[in-house]
Amino acid sequence: MDFPGVRALDNVSFTAESGKVVSLLGENGAGKSTLLKILYGDYQPTSGKVLIDQKEAVFRSPFEALQNGVSVIYQERQLVQNLSVGDNVFLGHPPRRLGFIEGRDLNHATQKIIDEFGLPFKAEDRVWELSVAHQQMVEIMKAYNRKIDIIAFDEPTASLTETEIHKLFEIIRKLKAENKIVLYVSHRLKEIFEICDDVVVLKDGRFVNKLRIQDATEEELVRMMVGRDLKGIFQRLVHTTSFGKVILEVRGLCNSRLTDVSFALREGEILGFSGLVGSGRTELMQAIFGVDRYERGEILFDGSPVRITFPADAIRLGIGLCPEDRKQQGIIPIRSLRENIVVTIQKELARLGVFINRQKEVALAQEQVKNLDIRASGVEQAIMYLSGGNQQKSIVGRWLARKPRVLILDEPTKGIDVGAKAEIYKMISELARQGIAIILVSSELPEIIGLCDRILIMKDGRISGELARAEATEEKVLSFALPH
Amino acid sequence: MSTVQQAIADRRTGVVARFFASPMAGMTIAIAAMFVGFAFAAPNFFLPANFLNILIASSTMGLVAVGESYLIIAGQIDLSPGAVSAFSGMVIAVMLKNSIAPMISVPAALLVGAGIGYLNATLVNRLKLQPFIATLATSSLFRGLAFIINDGKTEQIFNKGFLALGLERYLGLPISVWVLLIALAAFTILLRYTTFGRSVYIIGGNPVAARLAGINARRLVTKLYVMCAALTSLGGVMLASRMNAGQPTASNGLEFDAITATVLGGVAFSGGSGSMPGTILGIFILVGFNNGLLIMNVPSFWQYVARGGLLVVALSFDTIRQLIRRR
Repeated sequence: MDFPGVRALDNVSFTAESGKVVSLLGENGAGKSTLLKILYGDYQPTSGKVLIDQKEAVFRSPFEALQNGVSVIYQERQLVQNLSVGDNVFLGHPPRRLGFIEGRDLNHATQKIIDEFGLPFKAEDRVWELSVAHQQMVEIMKAYNRKIDIIAFDEPTASLTETEIHKLFEIIRKLKAENKIVLYVSHRLKEIFEICDDVVVLKDGRFVNKLRIQDATEEELVRMMVGRDLKGIFQRLVHTTSFGKVILEVRGLCNSRLTDVSFALREGEILGFSGLVGSGRTELMQAIFGVDRYERGEILFDGSPVRITFPADAIRLGIGLCPEDRKQQGIIPIRSLRENIVVTIQKELARLGVFINRQKEVALAQEQVKNLDIRASGVEQAIMYLSGGNQQKSIVGRWLARKPRVLILDEPTKGIDVGAKAEIYKMISELARQGIAIILVSSELPEIIGLCDRILIMKDGRISGELARAEATEEKVLSFALPH
Repeated sequence: MSTVQQAIADRRTGVVARFFASPMAGMTIAIAAMFVGFAFAAPNFFLPANFLNILIASSTMGLVAVGESYLIIAGQIDLSPGAVSAFSGMVIAVMLKNSIAPMISVPAALLVGAGIGYLNATLVNRLKLQPFIATLATSSLFRGLAFIINDGKTEQIFNKGFLALGLERYLGLPISVWVLLIALAAFTILLRYTTFGRSVYIIGGNPVAARLAGINARRLVTKLYVMCAALTSLGGVMLASRMNAGQPTASNGLEFDAITATVLGGVAFSGGSGSMPGTILGIFILVGFNNGLLIMNVPSFWQYVARGGLLVVALSFDTIRQLIRRR
């Protein structure tokens, strides 16, 4: 396969062989996703071509790509939520008799694939009932069922737990054994070393290098992608040891997803929340922030009990939340960076509390852009055109504009490239030093261990363990998080 | 793709290029084409008296278009205005028949309208009905009640004070036109220059993010439905005064005219974008177009066809422009 001279991607060419897993590695904006979209016929290249078996392949739509044995699994799931697993696996080409869908054949054939993959759900299950990980498996089954030769994954593990990743890798190895070409896009270097044969490094839309995985080291790959060394980023962060007074205290919080959760947070402290996906971390943050209700327990802010029923209540106290799902819950995509930043404080900036004061808004937005080093063409640029890392910084900026006392960051580095991650770590550490109390929810253990002063681990809606910075290791965190 | 286009648009700072890049370009060209067309085919179109006709014909629908603009920008929609307008007309006519003074009956009718808006909001917010379905239901409900309230009969209005609303002129313009112009100005300012207006865009752009940023989306949506229905009710009352009667069949399809005008003016159904100046252009091009065709004696059946054509041409302008540029 070749991609010579694809524009927007600047003259990227590489080849991939059957029976190999090839990783596309690069920061956000390096052009990995664009490449996959061209391969899938979603975007058209301005110049250059894709060759399959020495023949030029021109796909004007994903449909044509699929018909020619190419499938791309995007980060955003492309499943019809209300249909069954079987319907999705056979989407667009169900078994038919006299023009009617043959439901029994469909379910039977689907169940065969499910069993082959060793998964615990049924062909008749509705897709929306499945976990995110299982939905991802359905996507793969969909491609597998099409008898494709080339399959590409865009960040497949972003929302999977360790066990689920393991399962995915088993399936990828199976595809490999069947002599398919697998393209694998991920930021997680560990995974790339585990599953890939070759790695293609891209940077700013340019081809940097292609090498065999056994010839590569982690440091070398990072340097190629970012042009700087990430190792030691956590060591270089300055940690405070003297915290202020307790600012937020939660006592015995209960609702349908939480059982008796208690903890206290001090000013200037970075408190980590670890645990598996679905262990109740996000639910706890939503209860504290007034998104969800809590049935029992109490929340104390600055020493006095408070009742938080709406996010607006939490915001008034000085709490900010950067939600887990940046695209769905964080950004207001079509509005400007300025509007996205000042949204939390627009009333306070307005004249008489009503009339928008544009100068003040611009000044405040520019201040955040400068302090957080947000890269945009200007504060009037629509936020959807910013890269993931810059969008995340803008959401943080939205809260900093209010000078918060507690900042909750739920998976702040999800889907963000290595370089931007390092910047976000520095920013978090800097904010803590300014005395802001920080709650960091993260599924990435190195990040939790490297950044937090104290780690609480959750399991099944309860706090199952607590570790101080000095004693925290990945093994210890996992021993509290995993079911026994 | 669109970032690239934006970059191109930014670089070519020529007035012409900037104009073509703006979302209002399609509308402005449509208006120009309309004027040129009518200049040849319907010279009477340009008489001042006819412009006044256009304003008068816009007065009820224009008020509704204001309410719809706010709702659609916020990601909502209201399909009940036709029924609300008719029902309000019937309510005022029946109250006047029972010799309730206009000073009381007009505010009372507007209050009834606001109440219907509150009902719409409750169906959407509390019962979680889709706005489309909820307002379709209230539309049917109040169209029915508009008939029931007076046994299906048209109710003539004789109250001189009330009829003055449709007849009297200040500074050469009928009261209903003044109401429209003032409303257009006030709601333009509200949408563009206040935090209220900003919040309308924000909840339309991403309701979940808006909530997490501390905006009370429910309360805002309630205000918008109440606003739209109250404006509609005001339009219905003014219509009754112009017609000297409350008619249960009045304002059929009013919501679709208003939504057409709104969409013509560049308010996107996906929510979060659009503007009042756009809607104002949309109102006058739609009414002006109808008026011109009327002057040209185009049969009314063909007016529907022409209006459909206008909608397609004006709204596909943006896509057509991109297709041409790509060539």
